Amino acid sequence: MADHNDPNAVNSIFSDIDASAADLYDLFGFPSSDTSDGEKVVIALTFAAVPHAGTLDPDMIYRIQMTAEPRVVHPPANEQSLDSFLKYVEAVKDKYTGALHASEIRMHVDESQRATVEFFNFPEGSFSVVVDTNKVLNIDTPGKNRITAYIGGRDDAFFNDLPGFFRSINYAPQFYHVPHTMTEARELPIPKTLLELEGNDLFNFDPALPEWGRGYKKNLPPGPWTWKGDKFRKDENGNFRFVYSGVDAQAGKNVNAIILEIPVKFINPAPDKNRIINVWGESWVLKAANKIETIPDHPLWLEHPFAFLDPRSKDSELQKYKLVDTDGQPFADAALSEREDNRQLGANNFFLAPHFVKRLAHLGWGFGPSISALGLKTSFDHDNSPVSVHKTYSTVLAAFPRVKKTLFQPLNMPDNSWNPKGLNIALRRPFEIFVPNVCAIDLDTTGTWPFGRRLEDQVATRFLSMFLDMEAEFKGKKYHLEMLNDQSLWDAAPIVPKTPPNPLKNDRDFSDKFPYLAEPHPEPGYKPTYK
Amino acid sequence: MNGLTDFQIEMRAFELDLEDLRPPAMAHPMSADHVTKYVYRLYQRAALDGNLELFQEVEAELDGAIARLGAAPDLCLLKANLDFKLHRVAETKRDLEMSPGLAETSQGRAISADIVFQEGNYEKAGQLYEALVEKERTWDNLARLAHLRARLGDVAAADQLYVEAEDELTAKEMRSFAWVELQRGLLHSAYGRFPQAHEHYDRANRGYSGYWLVKEHIANLLAAEHKLEQAATIYRNVLQRVPKPEIQQALGDIYRHMGKQREAEECFQKALAVYLQSADRGEVHYYHHLVDFYCDAHRDAEQALKWARQDIELRNNSSTQAAMARALHLAGRHDEARQMIDRALSSGVREPGLFLQAGKIHSAAGGNGMGEHYLKLAAELNPHHSAFHVHHHH
Repeated sequence: MADHNDPNAVNSIFSDIDASAADLYDLFGFPSSDTSDGEKVVIALTFAAVPHAGTLDPDMIYRIQMTAEPRVVHPPANEQSLDSFLKYVEAVKDKYTGALHASEIRMHVDESQRATVEFFNFPEGSFSVVVDTNKVLNIDTPGKNRITAYIGGRDDAFFNDLPGFFRSINYAPQFYHVPHTMTEARELPIPKTLLELEGNDLFNFDPALPEWGRGYKKNLPPGPWTWKGDKFRKDENGNFRFVYSGVDAQAGKNVNAIILEIPVKFINPAPDKNRIINVWGESWVLKAANKIETIPDHPLWLEHPFAFLDPRSKDSELQKYKLVDTDGQPFADAALSEREDNRQLGANNFFLAPHFVKRLAHLGWGFGPSISALGLKTSFDHDNSPVSVHKTYSTVLAAFPRVKKTLFQPLNMPDNSWNPKGLNIALRRPFEIFVPNVCAIDLDTTGTWPFGRRLEDQVATRFLSMFLDMEAEFKGKKYHLEMLNDQSLWDAAPIVPKTPPNPLKNDRDFSDKFPYLAEPHPEPGYKPTYK
Repeated sequence: MNGLTDFQIEMRAFELDLEDLRPPAMAHPMSADHVTKYVYRLYQRAALDGNLELFQEVEAELDGAIARLGAAPDLCLLKANLDFKLHRVAETKRDLEMSPGLAETSQGRAISADIVFQEGNYEKAGQLYEALVEKERTWDNLARLAHLRARLGDVAAADQLYVEAEDELTAKEMRSFAWVELQRGLLHSAYGRFPQAHEHYDRANRGYSGYWLVKEHIANLLAAEHKLEQAATIYRNVLQRVPKPEIQQALGDIYRHMGKQREAEECFQKALAVYLQSADRGEVHYYHHLVDFYCDAHRDAEQALKWARQDIELRNNSSTQAAMARALHLAGRHDEARQMIDRALSSGVREPGLFLQAGKIHSAAGGNGMGEHYLKLAAELNPHHSAFHVHHHH
């Protein structure tokens, strides 16, 4: 059209931010209750239902990687120093960047929605199968193990007041139309908080606009986007206003998912020794240049139930794709990495370790004073600040003393049900939960978070509980990960609405049978291709 | 969607989107987000369609939106893109200043660098493009730098940068991929490497099927190979979809070389009418084409000089200087033509087409032996130089 170079002329000026099939939602992992044929582990990777629930995007591959290792405790519980944290990070880094031979399950669909599932580096070797989507089916492995699989649409198993979380961190795009050119207008420089701040008109609940932030957005007013107040907001009855509503923002929503129930011995050659299975997921999108080179899947795969693979071939396949998203721990992205694309590192998130400390301290200055104002004890050292503070750190050295206890305290469980065998298993601590960014399933537990992640875990509220002081007591019992889900706590607190921050259960009941996640909701105007 | 090309599928998606976006964009109170999405989709449709008249609708809606909503940064950025696309350099600069901070955003800095390029300051443009790539290694920033390298004669570096640009693109951006493939094809075509150019155009076509822009490039290449019948067939096909005057002129060129003077003249008249109507409306987009037209289709030195002068006032760069040199050459003002082509050459641009033109002009001016030098250089770089100088995209 013109005689000058103008790439934008025929392309997008603004990045298109439509829902993408590459957007990973959650990774669940827990030991199966069905042990009839030996121990099994359930792994479910969920992602955006694009183009539709039950119809997967042929340009994507999804990877689920896993390693098995013994349960270790490091550093000892009494060591709460920056040095011990850094040593821990170094040790884990060496493991994940060194001679780590992760096993991998890789999946992609073809245009006819048949799924190719490739297994790499398992004790039985590498092989692949081609299977139907939206069907519960068995995959018999070369070594006579049987994997149960489901690839397709389901109800979104995540139940969460996401707008509440975004209100707590003053995340503008949830509440405002933020111009594409204003990339800085995301988390606005207002104290993060669990209780509304007096005069924080940019984010405080507006009774006249109950849907604000839940679909309805305002135009972003001109800056400065700051807060000048000095106290939490209280109503005429002296109650604080909770930024959370307890309403499930994911109700009625669908996902696409890869759900697998895998015999532990298929993953783990020494199941008696290696009681931890670390799992993480990745989404990759086909590069444009390779889209035009696409050739049909190897005929061998189409004619035979499974074909043996050369493990060396997997990396050449991966070179045709681009990593987009990773998933290991819930909230590792949103709460700790600020959702930046260049921090999508998955298990290899070691270089974020210093950022993790600084970010946790930044969050602590917001959530810690909120917890104190409610009369509860916090693990974060905020110098008895009467109100949330917006504070960022440029050095780990400055941030660490504030966050030391939050980082190192063992996270108490509400009772012993997580440890059905009554084994001597140490409680997990935040630093080891988030670095590396994997779902570490302890096979001797129920797999409830943080010993894995079960479907029914309210992980958003458990994440907030990291900022509670686990040495303190409520009603004669040590603080624990489920305490903020206790309705009686909120009934007694000077706060409205009187609700736990997030819903206590999913909008649809989970099944006690595979594939466990509930059936998908009907999508208006779309006829799914279920078989 | 079976049977539809990628182009048709995307055009249809834009139309459907516009149907959905129009009512909320027109609602009161006005939502900046809805209006921006709507006007942006209008712009995307116009850009993909290729019909310049659609941009008039975009401009009207965009100006209306800015009048009602104020200088919102996204709207100003869109306006800057539109003005730049239509060669309105001064207006583009003004658009970027309308919204505080816009010029400092990554998109704003990219257009600012493009302006510097259009103003012929290739050294500074290079620095700005390199800084952009350093900060954000996006496909379009890499393509900008690649284009500059190509103009400066570093073909290998340019192609490598285009390869890197492609590596940033995913299967969800096939139109952009096709565009980069066209640039790679153009690079080969300019140096007479026609088979390689065909390969890239074929990849572009496979990546994004049914796109008139790809067909137009293929027709240009066939014309350069003197495959006139094939080229004419494709041009006619493209013109049915996109009645662009420069394609009409290109078809006229083909007819003339085939000895079909009447058909050629019909095409030229149609092209000229659109060029002049546009200029009458105060648009500057076709100035460059008018210079070409009066140097080539209807040889008229006075008219060629008039439009060349107006174009160079807007964008004083090696392209507009070379166009002015052609007009001066046609007017028999050989010394001035030589001075002007030397100015174009002093910019650092090294392209076979420019050397060929310099050779002709210097030869006509006579005396210094540079004519032979440039003709030899042009022949070395492109042994297959065609009578068809493809002036529509490069």
